[in-house]
Amino acid sequence: MEKKKAKLSLEKKHNLTGWAFLLPASILIFVFCFYPMSQAILLSFRKTGGVFNGAANYARILKDKTFQQCLFNTFFYFVIQVPIMLVLALMLAQLLNNPKIKGKGIFRTLIFLPCATSLVSYSMIFKSLFAPDGVVNRVLMAIGLSSVDWFQSTWPARWVIVIALIWRWTGYNMVFYLAGLQNIDYSVYEASYIDGATPFQQFMKITIPLLKPTILMTAIMSTSGTLQLFDESMNLTAGGPGKSTMTLAHYIYNISFVETPKFNYAAALSVCILVMVAVLSAIQMKVGDKRD
Amino acid sequence: MTKFKQIISYTILVIASFLSAFPLYYMLCGATNQSIDVVRGRLIPGTYLIENFKTLVDMQNLGLAMFNSFRNAIVITVVTLLICSIAGYGFEIYHDKGKDILMSILLLAMMLPFVAIMIPLFKMFTSWKLVNTWIALALPSISTPFMIMLFRQAARSFPHDIIEAARLEGLSEIQIFFRMFIPVMKSTYGAAMTVTFMNAWNNYLWPTIILQDSKAITMPMLVANLKSGYSVDYGMLMLGVLICTLPTAIIFLCLQKSFANGITGAVK
Amino acid sequence: MKKKVLSVLLAAAMTVSMLTGCGSKPAGNDVQSAAPSEASKETEAAAETTASAEDETLTVWCWDPNFNVYAMKQAEKAYQVDHPNFKLDIQEKVYSDIETALITAAEAGDYSTLPDIFLMQDYSFHKNATNYPGIFTALDDCGIDFSQFSMGKLADSTVDGTHYGIPFDNGATIMAIRSDMVEAAGLKVEDFKDTTWSEFMELSKKVMAANDVPMLTCSGGSEIVIEMLQSAGASPMVDGKVSLVDNKALKKAIETYKQLIDEGIMADYTDWDQYIASMNKGTAAGVIQGCWIMSSIQAADDQAGKWAIVNMPKLDDVEGATNYANCGGASWAVSSNCKNTDLAFDFLNATFGADVDLYDDLLVNAGAIASYLPAAQSETYNEGNEFYGGQAVYKDIVEFAGHVPGIDYGAYYSDIRSALTDAITNVVQKNADIDTEIKNAQDTVEFNIAE
Repeated sequence: MEKKKAKLSLEKKHNLTGWAFLLPASILIFVFCFYPMSQAILLSFRKTGGVFNGAANYARILKDKTFQQCLFNTFFYFVIQVPIMLVLALMLAQLLNNPKIKGKGIFRTLIFLPCATSLVSYSMIFKSLFAPDGVVNRVLMAIGLSSVDWFQSTWPARWVIVIALIWRWTGYNMVFYLAGLQNIDYSVYEASYIDGATPFQQFMKITIPLLKPTILMTAIMSTSGTLQLFDESMNLTAGGPGKSTMTLAHYIYNISFVETPKFNYAAALSVCILVMVAVLSAIQMKVGDKRD
Repeated sequence: MTKFKQIISYTILVIASFLSAFPLYYMLCGATNQSIDVVRGRLIPGTYLIENFKTLVDMQNLGLAMFNSFRNAIVITVVTLLICSIAGYGFEIYHDKGKDILMSILLLAMMLPFVAIMIPLFKMFTSWKLVNTWIALALPSISTPFMIMLFRQAARSFPHDIIEAARLEGLSEIQIFFRMFIPVMKSTYGAAMTVTFMNAWNNYLWPTIILQDSKAITMPMLVANLKSGYSVDYGMLMLGVLICTLPTAIIFLCLQKSFANGITGAVK
Repeated sequence: MKKKVLSVLLAAAMTVSMLTGCGSKPAGNDVQSAAPSEASKETEAAAETTASAEDETLTVWCWDPNFNVYAMKQAEKAYQVDHPNFKLDIQEKVYSDIETALITAAEAGDYSTLPDIFLMQDYSFHKNATNYPGIFTALDDCGIDFSQFSMGKLADSTVDGTHYGIPFDNGATIMAIRSDMVEAAGLKVEDFKDTTWSEFMELSKKVMAANDVPMLTCSGGSEIVIEMLQSAGASPMVDGKVSLVDNKALKKAIETYKQLIDEGIMADYTDWDQYIASMNKGTAAGVIQGCWIMSSIQAADDQAGKWAIVNMPKLDDVEGATNYANCGGASWAVSSNCKNTDLAFDFLNATFGADVDLYDDLLVNAGAIASYLPAAQSETYNEGNEFYGGQAVYKDIVEFAGHVPGIDYGAYYSDIRSALTDAITNVVQKNADIDTEIKNAQDTVEFNIAE
């Protein structure tokens, strides 16, 4: 009897300790994120001046052609860029996890560099690389293709953004995979090699399953990051030509701070993004987050 | 066969590194050339570094910006790692239904564009009279669902045997976290530290809103200033950008060993 | 057990201090915003006779160290001659950040973070004064003689008859052309003065044939169309209504722009740095832009003596078309947070509102061309400039500025410009029908500005 009680209280104690551990972080998020978030949601149901407006701001979204354009652009980046980037990052991480490769530190640092590079220089460099007489066009012409007016035409400009995103964030995601791979004993790979597994098989059968929690995490991160993409649209293409590369977050910024301010409508658009990211993340978690 | 595979591996790595490192080279060329040569696309390192540095120091308070940026980034990094790792650990090791639900709720925090919460947040800090303080700068960025999740996913590979053994030895729960979890999870901490430092260092929008005083200038603000005039000194700009990039790069270089060569074999 | 309690306590203490400890001492060193007002009250009470330095310090936000920051520094020096205790705290901020900070403060309803004086781009005055009048202190009674500034410029910072800004730099549009390239084509710089676009295009073809470069370079199409629109004084807002569809000048401007691009007379660089490079590298024979572009042109020392300044071409067959427009420029504003408005007014009045020597200095050392009309009478403005082959460029530019027709965007400059950019892009890139695109632009603007 005595013993049982002690055990129960121990479990309870552990449970309480668990809550105590996550309390500081949770309080911070509630105060500095959920409270302002609730303000934003309230804002989205009012009009300028604070009068309750029902769902009028949300109804407006349906009629907003610019929103539709930006939504399309954002989803294009998401669908193309996230898978390519994550697979590339995984491949590089696997290569760099091989103990036989020399100079890994340098390779890792160089591949990580793009995301450490400040936005100003990164956008300047990309703009000069893809300029009409820039390096990219010169290479294209050298191999017999015709040059492309990258920033002046709709689809090439969108591809520049995709390329820039992959370039900038692959190394970043690689870092998490590298860290995750340390928890996998390399002898697993050696054993599978002796069994005759090809690198591709190793990748599919060992790397991906064992890194699943990390992959899930980076996928959710990239989803959320891409749907809120702002920097590239703002600094690289300024949304142009026209609005053909503008992202949702860029549009929200514009209607808040550049054009006639419509903070209530901007809040409604933000809530829209929140819902989309939440749905996509929920799907990813359903697929990937099983405790086995 | 192995030789062949190695050659392929090296080729891929060299190409990836070259593509990634090109901007650094570009910055280096820019920083050592005169503005007009940078504009004209000169891609050979020049001899103008000292002059660019002198103009930069004359025009901008480089020392102050460096100091502020380092202080902000270090404080944010240390506190973030502590608070988020302990939370991630708590979520995973003591997981139950309630905590899993809370985690999903917390995840929502990173899904709303920052622009939308910026004004309520600003209102909050003005009412607390905390505008222009680095506390106001740091508080909203300390606890991120991403970091909590990173540690939660990492804790999943932390063996429960270790915890049980430690409990039998009479270690308290918090001691287990500090003495067992932190040393074993060195690789995750290394990665988290790099990323947090980088994000804190490069953060721009919130600092420009909450830090209105020029005494609180940070490196990204300084770099933005370099590009805001009617005529831009590109040599100086590139030098500023280079100086702004180096700390993160150096920190990565120092830490990468810890998160990539760490503890193979220690945990299975 | 004891240990356990201790460590839990430690962790708790740590977080508590994190959350509340910092918040409970707002009087710490870090709080700079709350300090000045309280401090000044105290000093007032303590010593009314001896004015402390705190009383005579004004905070200023502006953004270009070689230009408006320099101007404020010189103004500070000039004012200190008679007011030794006067000081400026000049804070360099990127313009978009200034605007974000102003709007954030206004939306949050707390202006205490604003400086005393700030510089605002002219195109933003109407938008901000209409939506957030609480940002500003009206300048009608500040004692400045506004009739001494050029009218076109003044209109930008005057909203419903109230003055919100003191005009600073001149943004008159110029056409800078390479005199050497023009001469290589057997033409004279004179030929490019007072032209119409069709005449200009004929001349351009000769220059292009002789030099194998495009005649003009530009950065994003909407800017040049907007300048054309202004040169004809064709307001996109008429009596408070969006008026793009029946705007003849707008249609003509877009057609002209399309022709310039289609015939290769104008090269469009989306990116600003590439655009500057095209001038500095000599891959364009000229540029049409606000006169502030001159400092970028002059960065190429080796092109000294090879440039000349003329006015821009005017639209063909459009009533009221002229050769003059305006692009950019900014004005000083006093914020509602300014505690010592008398001092701010007196300072601005004594410097930017009266001091011709100051303007001379700014012209020579910062290339800032004044909007203050008496400044243009000074000798400095009439001197020849060697970079432009001895031409008295500043005198010419001030004269251009005097001819710029007024134009009304209401409070919707950015909305209209954004919609026009889309229309222009579709017309040039996708060969879309001009009338349809203008109609779409009109719809977009009406949708955007509707509540």
